[in-house]
Amino acid sequence: MLFSSLTFLYLFIAAIIILYFAVPFKAKNAVLLVFSLFFYAWGGVKYALLMVLAITLGYVFGLLIEKYRGKPIAKVFTGVAVACIISFMLYFKYTDFFIENFNAITGLSIPLLKIVLPIGISFYTFQIISYVIDVYRGEKAQKNPINLAAYIAMFPQLIAGPIVRYSDVARELEHRTHSITKAAEGVRRFIIGLSKKVLIANSMYDLSEIIYAAEEKTVLFYWMYGISIALYIYFDFSGYSDMAIGLGKIFGFNFLENFNYPFISKSATEFWRRWHMSLGSWFRDYLYIPLGGNRVPKWRWLLNIFAVWMFTGFWHGAAWNFIIWGLFFGILLVIEKFWLLKYLEKSKFISRIYILLAVITSFIVFQIPSLGEAFTYIGGLFGAGGIPFASAETLYYLRSYAVLLIAALVGSTPLIKKLATRFSTSEKFGKIANIVEPVMLVVLFAVVTAFLVDSSSNPFLYFRF
Amino acid sequence: MSTKIKNFVVCATIAIIVFGFALMFLFMPKAEFLDSERRAPAKFPPINAESIMKDGLEYGDSFMKKFDDGYIPDNFPFREAFRQLKAWVGANVFMQKDKEGVYVVDGIAAEMQETIDEGSIAHAADRITFIYENYLKDKGITPYISIIPDKGYWLSAENGYPSMDYDEFISKMLAGVEFAEYIDIKDSLKASDFYKSDTHWNQEHLVDIAKLLVDGMGGNHDSVYTKNQLDKPFYGVYAGRAPKPLAAETITYYTNENMENVTVFDFEKNRPGAIYDMEKAAGKDAYDMFLGGEISKLSIENPNAKTDKELVIFRDSYGRSIIPLLIDDYAKITVIDIRYQVPQILLMNVELENADVLFLYSTLILNNSSELK
Repeated sequence: MLFSSLTFLYLFIAAIIILYFAVPFKAKNAVLLVFSLFFYAWGGVKYALLMVLAITLGYVFGLLIEKYRGKPIAKVFTGVAVACIISFMLYFKYTDFFIENFNAITGLSIPLLKIVLPIGISFYTFQIISYVIDVYRGEKAQKNPINLAAYIAMFPQLIAGPIVRYSDVARELEHRTHSITKAAEGVRRFIIGLSKKVLIANSMYDLSEIIYAAEEKTVLFYWMYGISIALYIYFDFSGYSDMAIGLGKIFGFNFLENFNYPFISKSATEFWRRWHMSLGSWFRDYLYIPLGGNRVPKWRWLLNIFAVWMFTGFWHGAAWNFIIWGLFFGILLVIEKFWLLKYLEKSKFISRIYILLAVITSFIVFQIPSLGEAFTYIGGLFGAGGIPFASAETLYYLRSYAVLLIAALVGSTPLIKKLATRFSTSEKFGKIANIVEPVMLVVLFAVVTAFLVDSSSNPFLYFRF
Repeated sequence: MSTKIKNFVVCATIAIIVFGFALMFLFMPKAEFLDSERRAPAKFPPINAESIMKDGLEYGDSFMKKFDDGYIPDNFPFREAFRQLKAWVGANVFMQKDKEGVYVVDGIAAEMQETIDEGSIAHAADRITFIYENYLKDKGITPYISIIPDKGYWLSAENGYPSMDYDEFISKMLAGVEFAEYIDIKDSLKASDFYKSDTHWNQEHLVDIAKLLVDGMGGNHDSVYTKNQLDKPFYGVYAGRAPKPLAAETITYYTNENMENVTVFDFEKNRPGAIYDMEKAAGKDAYDMFLGGEISKLSIENPNAKTDKELVIFRDSYGRSIIPLLIDDYAKITVIDIRYQVPQILLMNVELENADVLFLYSTLILNNSSELK
């Protein structure tokens, strides 16, 4: 089920709110779990059974690891648990990729298995892995299977993140508070995220599709493609994270932030501190540091960096363009660490141009599966092939999407948030802000509903994750 | 308002909206027809073990997908108001110049046609050539062809909308059917000769075009008609898709004495047909009144025609509204639509020897010709 669907907004939410707040605290996680399983099964019943199996493995191994903590067998249990959980993801997500490449190398033609990727498997796999490793490292195992299952399957973050660590919500699974203030904060965050997804991300996606389908390409068209794709991915992903954080608050949880205006970064290093932060910190804590981090010889350190970025790319999808996307950032980060960063710090203007160019280029590779085509698009940004700068068609779509592009560009900076905070906290306008805010939220909710009722496209970015 | 009250208002208002619409959706009677979209809403999808268990590549046929994408949006309370809100926001807030390819200029809605589909033109030419080679060539018949531009021909380029090169389109099409004689009608048409809210041309403005066609095929069209109007508003296919509200229109149709005495036969249903089907006129798409809607083969016999000539016309939906204006000039008109049946079947028992043969197609069909058989 998608957050950006009428089924979710008007039926699922209505039903879970009634039941969740009607039952006593000790039954709330069970309600969350049942609804989360229903939410997930709505996208495919069999996949829900797979997730239940993965959760069961995580639960059993968590208890075993805790029981034998400090003994060598605990390490074995941890390894077996991680291997089992990862094998699900490897099978469902990567089998055909490996067969394809094996065929390409050997000239064989082993038939592809055409396995369909269960939605969200990359997210819940990482959550279960973090849970068993955290237990191995000393975190208390969750004795109550419902609590653990509710944590892993929790619908707000199940299909698009953020990757919530068990340690971050362990206490809230057993003791959390609910309040009107927190719920209002959640509702606000949810509606803002929903609007980012439905009004901005979907429109940017539509624009990118129009450009992709256009026969006559121009330099301006390629730039519009790169910008619209970057904005689409950002608003879709951060919108989903906002919705997850907002829903979490309504149900009493405090999930960590996942995006922090990455497009205002001045380097790739800063970009990844602001972009999909839960994934970055997961790879840091569960791959980079266990590999030795930077406390190893320089060649090993470089190897560690490239391994982490290759896997970061590969996590986003089983295709070479994702691996190249990840390695591209790995290379940028290494160049920055050894040489570029000190120069970037000297000029905000140049550093911002540099990162925006890097991000636009990278997202073209991310979005277009064919590498040859992606490089044509990147070349097109600089007029490769002698294409014209603009055409009547390009200018038409630029004019038609100008307001949305400007809104998206402004919305990707902290400007609106700063103005809203200043407005709502000022003595003069604070009371007015308290009236404006509910009105704005209702208007946004109505407009989003209108766009969903008459929906022409509602892309789901995470089907490859 | 204090922050505490604001928080309460935020929660209460959104809760009222969510629960209110949920209850209305569950308990309000559902519409039987979506007027502005001219279609029935999606029905409640079949719910059984098979439809629930579909996933992966079959997920599109699952109960869940059909519920999400069809049933709930189609039956959502105040759907039409929400659709209008979306159109208003798109046009006035986002300042978008079109809504999913449909735009409005001076109250006339049109759809963007940006690309010439050369494959489609080749397919259309191939189908026409097939008919010529197998049914006309040996009889020494030179068919006529006439092409009806869509409204974008007049509205798109000069109002800044992406536009295909219509002259190039027509040249390419004619190059594929060089055996046919072209009757140019585009210069005698204008955007206002079409319904403002529909793709089709308006019979009220087609008398001159009928003359061009008849005269172009060697006749002399001089018919006189009485003007009639349907007493119900007409909303065309763009009414529900346009970025701005479109005014209701009236369907005008011409009659004369000859039309009252013709015999119309519907070969598809094997029963008498009608020049103007008043049952269809009362239906959801009143344009279907012209020749009774999409019928693959129809004959119109006129005992009082000026000549004993016959006309075989291959047409799309545009043809239906102009054919009544050709009745005076032909003793028999055979109307054929190869979108629904192969010509081998439709041309069985059709007398071609003494006939004019006309291919009358719109650019919309020729540029999306995959359905031509």
